[in-house]
Amino acid sequence: MLVLLLAAAGSVSAQGDAAAGKSKNAMCQGCHGIDGFRMAYPTVYSVPMLGGQSAAYIAAALKAYRSGDRINETMHAIAAGLTDQDIDDLAAYYSGDAK
Amino acid sequence: MKQYFPAIVAVAGCLMTAGALAEEAAAPVNAQEIVNTVCAMCHGEDGNKMLTPETPKIGGQKGDYLAKSLHDYKSGDRKNPIMAAVAAPLSDEAIEALAEYFAAQKSELYTLK
Repeated sequence: MLVLLLAAAGSVSAQGDAAAGKSKNAMCQGCHGIDGFRMAYPTVYSVPMLGGQSAAYIAAALKAYRSGDRINETMHAIAAGLTDQDIDDLAAYYSGDAK
Repeated sequence: MKQYFPAIVAVAGCLMTAGALAEEAAAPVNAQEIVNTVCAMCHGEDGNKMLTPETPKIGGQKGDYLAKSLHDYKSGDRKNPIMAAVAAPLSDEAIEALAEYFAAQKSELYTLK
């Protein structure tokens, strides 16, 4: 447990470029760019708001979708096409991190 | 690594508290009590604190998304050892109450268009 926690805490991404992330978010906008959007498959629920979210959390979530550890077919398909750099850039953009 | 020690202590406290609450499963859901004794240690009482960089902000997040997340942590569909332990004792009613509680908090989150 502690090892897992430390591993998670240590994998903070600080290399994202928010401007680059903005240029890569076309696939995100169809759902996450629409206030109140609800996904209909596999179950109906609202997609989360991502603006202002922790960059490290967003990066970890995208990597978990990419690996299949976090189960969502739509997000898996989208994340599968992202490099680590793409993920860090998107995380920086959505977190509002202008660095 | 040293700076995460307080987080580890707090998480250990969360897990012990979650276990204690599980024994009270028959009691009516008191969302505020669960928040104060379990969730707040990492997420803050309003869901906007981040104990570690990877702790998501949940204050004002979509309630049905929060409920789905807790159900997925409980079922194991979503893998996180801390949240699995926290969600394990939660009834469906407790999950709904907690999701509503955090969805109703002031939010630092927004839909980025």
